[in-house]
Amino acid sequence: MNNVLKFKNKKNTVAAQDEIYNFAYLDENTKRMIRRALIKALCIPGFQVPFSSREMPMPYGWGTGGVQVTSSCLTTDDVIKVIDQGADDTTNAVSIRNFFKKTANIKTTEKTSQASIIQTRHRIPEEKLKEKQILVYQVPIPEPLAFLEPRYQETKKMHALSEYGIMHVKLYEDITKNGHIETAYAYPVKTNDRYIMDPSPIPKFDNPKMNNNPAIQLFGAGREQRIYAIPPYTEVTSLDFEDYPFDPSKAPHKCSICGSNESFLDEIITDDDGNRSFICSDTNYCNQRMENN
Amino acid sequence: MQPILSVHNLNKYYGNQVGCKNMNLTLYPGEVVGVVGESGSGKTTFINSISGNLIPDSGKILIETGNETIDFLEISESLKRLLIRTELAFVHQNPRDGLRLDVSAGGNISERLMSIGQRNYGNIRQTIFKWLDKVEIDKSRVDDFPRTFSGGMLQRLQIAKNLVTSPKIIFMDEPTGGLDVSVQAKILDLLRKLVRELNLSVVIVSHDLAVIRLLADKIIVMENGEAVESGLCDQVLDDPQHSYTQLLVSSVLQV
Repeated sequence: MNNVLKFKNKKNTVAAQDEIYNFAYLDENTKRMIRRALIKALCIPGFQVPFSSREMPMPYGWGTGGVQVTSSCLTTDDVIKVIDQGADDTTNAVSIRNFFKKTANIKTTEKTSQASIIQTRHRIPEEKLKEKQILVYQVPIPEPLAFLEPRYQETKKMHALSEYGIMHVKLYEDITKNGHIETAYAYPVKTNDRYIMDPSPIPKFDNPKMNNNPAIQLFGAGREQRIYAIPPYTEVTSLDFEDYPFDPSKAPHKCSICGSNESFLDEIITDDDGNRSFICSDTNYCNQRMENN
Repeated sequence: MQPILSVHNLNKYYGNQVGCKNMNLTLYPGEVVGVVGESGSGKTTFINSISGNLIPDSGKILIETGNETIDFLEISESLKRLLIRTELAFVHQNPRDGLRLDVSAGGNISERLMSIGQRNYGNIRQTIFKWLDKVEIDKSRVDDFPRTFSGGMLQRLQIAKNLVTSPKIIFMDEPTGGLDVSVQAKILDLLRKLVRELNLSVVIVSHDLAVIRLLADKIIVMENGEAVESGLCDQVLDDPQHSYTQLLVSSVLQV
């Protein structure tokens, strides 16, 4: 309580927040450990690096992995944007943004182009990312083979020896059951023509954006204690069959706010009669289009 | 002709217990070798040791792939696992050990195909139908889960799953164990047909002399982890020399 009062009384400077929290919450040794894992992950694109995940002041499943990665990357000059399913204003996004505002006393933004670090849950922003930007994904289950092979030892071997036949069995089953590949999110990808990777539960619509992206893409799974990464300009391909090629697919509608034909849409039920409308899931993209018009 | 598989002085111990001792085997292309013996005689230890499921304590296993001879116990694990899923096949006694029960029958058959890089759904589907036909499973069952299959169908599915990549050497551990007699006969019929048609080289383990007599060209009789007698199947079974073989042959029930 005293600390909070002290915080309020002092000016909002880095020095002020230092007395209450270490910069960006985590202690320096932890950050160093995570940075090491991140560097290793960047060197071996798509490879899951174990790290000793810390207890965070939020429950597992709320982005503890992403927060730890972001915290380890932050510098005082960074500008952070946090999105949850594309939106800047949902609970998860707001709470994580406030968390870094408070513990790192850092600038925040909702504009994709102005952010140096973007922490995301389940989306890649519509606006093209640039070099020197970092995209941090929150990952619930990092192991793409987990649902097919429950033995962790075995999945490690399968990765090590590139034994990925089973991954296509899943897609085969999809086509057999539904006539097309039904997997619509967490669609498995091959990174740098080597490791099969779970892109976290982003819609498959976003998969092509990972390919050759100029930004650094980092993935943190707090509960599962894994970090993996895609360095800038890395080839990322979605798995498919020759005769059933990967299809990013999107709802055949326009955003009912900004009218965009290209963005990923959320379906919203508007009344009890089942009427629905579609709006951009990326709120910043939608707002910017409205401002420009 | 070069043997496709040769095993020299293979030993496997479980602590002080003998698993199998001083085992030798020569398997020529298109040949079926039967391994018999009562339970606990080391049959399964032997077949697991030569198929990569167990690591033997000493001995040599040479596999002839056509262009080179591979020392199976010396190669890297990645090459070993590649061999296991392409050149070798293992049919388990319990088909549930060799199948993925939450993947459809077709998916089970397709796994090996996709693991060697086939990426055309239409072609894979064609191959699956061809194999269902070969093992006499109705094509309409292709998308059903193995758990809805009967014991005999499961075994036939496991055989199809293993043979789909045309492996050179098939290991079978009691493939007809636990099936009723008429289903056993069907599976044996099927195996005999496949062995002839595809010129398979097979090592088959069974405690059932009738099964071995029907399928095997050569036979190895095991007792307490050691081979006590081996030779041509008919010769050994018609004129057993070792007392244990004589006991085995004489204890077969006659109907």
